Amino acid sequence: MLINLITKFAFFLNGSKKYKQFKYIASNFLKESDYPYKKYFDIFMILLIVISIAILVYEVKHPVADWVDFFDIYIVTVIFTIEYLARAWVHNDWHVMVVREYTECQFLKRNFLLWKPTKLVLKEKLTYLTTPTAIIDLLAILPAYRPLRVLRIFVLFRVFKLLRYTKSIHQFLNVLATKKFELFTLLFLLVFITVTAGIAIYVFEAKQNDNIDTLFDALYWALITISTVGYGDISPVTIEGRVVSMLIIVTGIAMISFVTSVIVSSFSEKLTELKENRIVEEMNKQDSFMIICGYGQMTRMFLKHYAKEYDKSYIIIEKDKEQVEVAIKEGYSAIHEDPTRHDVITKFNTDYSNITLLALTGSDVANVYITLNAKAISKNIRVITRASSQSIAKKSRLAGADSVVMPNLIANRMLFTAITQPVMYRAIYAVLTGEHLAQLDEVDLKYHQKLVGKTIREIDVRQHKLLCIGVHASCSNRFIFNAPLEYQLEKEDVLLLMGRQVSINHFKEINEEVSYV
Amino acid sequence: MFKKSAFMFGYSPKTVELANELSDEILHLFIVVESKDAYNKAIADGYSSVTLLDVTDDTKLESLNVAEEDYLICVMDDHYLNVFLTLSLHALYPKATIVALSDSPHTTQKLKMAGATRIIDLYQVSANRIHNILNKPVTTQLIERLFSADEDFSFKEMVIPQKSKLDGVMVDNFDFSQHGVILLGMIDNRLSNKFIFITSGLENRFDVGDTLVCIGYNKDLEKFKDYISS
Repeated sequence: MLINLITKFAFFLNGSKKYKQFKYIASNFLKESDYPYKKYFDIFMILLIVISIAILVYEVKHPVADWVDFFDIYIVTVIFTIEYLARAWVHNDWHVMVVREYTECQFLKRNFLLWKPTKLVLKEKLTYLTTPTAIIDLLAILPAYRPLRVLRIFVLFRVFKLLRYTKSIHQFLNVLATKKFELFTLLFLLVFITVTAGIAIYVFEAKQNDNIDTLFDALYWALITISTVGYGDISPVTIEGRVVSMLIIVTGIAMISFVTSVIVSSFSEKLTELKENRIVEEMNKQDSFMIICGYGQMTRMFLKHYAKEYDKSYIIIEKDKEQVEVAIKEGYSAIHEDPTRHDVITKFNTDYSNITLLALTGSDVANVYITLNAKAISKNIRVITRASSQSIAKKSRLAGADSVVMPNLIANRMLFTAITQPVMYRAIYAVLTGEHLAQLDEVDLKYHQKLVGKTIREIDVRQHKLLCIGVHASCSNRFIFNAPLEYQLEKEDVLLLMGRQVSINHFKEINEEVSYV
Repeated sequence: MFKKSAFMFGYSPKTVELANELSDEILHLFIVVESKDAYNKAIADGYSSVTLLDVTDDTKLESLNVAEEDYLICVMDDHYLNVFLTLSLHALYPKATIVALSDSPHTTQKLKMAGATRIIDLYQVSANRIHNILNKPVTTQLIERLFSADEDFSFKEMVIPQKSKLDGVMVDNFDFSQHGVILLGMIDNRLSNKFIFITSGLENRFDVGDTLVCIGYNKDLEKFKDYISS
């Protein structure tokens, strides 16, 4: 009966959209670094940790008010406890396992045992709870247990919790982790020399030196000496002791230099990667951005003309290291990666940001592959790709490209016009290159509400030295070339104008009005 | 049919389409190539006037018999060679119109210095197109329609003939919209031989011999051409 009820409850959770959505949001807050609102949660937690530590330090020599104690013991701890439990909760889905097991049992006509999926889920949760970060979380809650004052020192574990919320500390530890072998070897060597020197000094000086009573004193002295700190509270008094001191001082200097060089080399090895990760992280914080694959002539030309317009909302991915260096030197943000690799595109926040990907490498095959890759990762990524011929353009469209740019086709059309219709060439050139004296620009009525309801005759663009080429009618979703003078503009229409940029900007400015309804 | 001849220097997959379109439109298309492969390809594609020669040799270029009104199209794959060829052609035929293809602002500048009359920068146009795709969807649609062979929508230039109805009419006083076309600009022979955009703010008058550039549906453009000629 109870098993039935629990199983039904698991099915209820499995079918509940609200529950799933709630858990999804909670999981995003706790785990997804790309989630745009996670940073607010992180800041809040960091603030709590800082306050908690500040209270600990302050109350060493000053009495604190009751409410401060209450806040520290109950409020902060309750929040940390909720977070601890929530992390365990979002780690895996009990109901999914139960439903899966139940369905399988039904299918195979075998007895359903609730403990089986429950055991699996608990095992996974236990694995999570024994990870270092989860243990830190648990220890950070312990100070709330007042009867044991010694537990107050566990407040310091709250500092370790910062690891969860600050990426730089995390990155520092990750870099050190790459040199785990070297650092452990050095640590082992340090322990060996300290213990040996400690024993030696104990043997030589325990009877002559008043400051060395126990082996612990000797080991303490050895560590202080080998680290080159040398407090001076214990110093050797015998010749043998001084010889040991000299030896471990020299060894200590060598070891410190060695450790420093290991850490520095690991950082210099990872520096580019860290920098690039930071660029990607910065990019992922934006609501919409552009990924430009390839830094060739076309990308150069595009950025030369429009980089300012897109501000910092673009990133170049180039697999040629020299080209990346050139791009950075020219002031663009670029990373050294192969854009055809699946994991390179997945680094970006494809779930929460509007991403436009420009596949502009010099290779048609690479561009088609990049398009396929991007569309496989997320259909929401808008892909504009470059193609050298009609057949490649067709393949790019099949791969899912939203737009295809064919430089040869456009150039050929212009060459042809330049030869056969030289006067017209001037007009076409201006239209295609966006010359300031003949800009083609759009006036979106969503942002220019003053124009809504007016006719083409009423807006009289000619008085602004503009030419109305047509209107993209929102109701019919089609472009009306040379729209009739009596055409009445609607609120989602787009007016296509031609003229000097200054005239267009002025026209937009005087008609600017946004409706928030 | 366009009553001039053109010499196209270079024949590659990039320019096959151009050669194809030009051969239909102009009086005679001569293809000049430097490599045997390009020569064979052009012959295989059905062109009869294909010459294989060393374009760095002026005496051979002189033997091409280029007339003053002919067009010289420099579309060689090697942009160093393209610039050098432009310079050679400009020295040999200073009055001929040289149209060249460029692939960077630096090459464009060099081609200009070498004497090219018109330079098309492959990537500048493409960069603008990407920008339009990103920010101006309606403009993109319009440009696609203008350049699509399937669409009956395009640009057209037309010269005002003798006894035209437009002769003597002020630009502002003529309603183009009733003819379904839009006037983009013109060459006003009275003022200069430069192309003036209608949005430039100058008050122009239509005269015989002026060249107009209009945009519209092909049938409307043809009707309008008949109208100004009648």
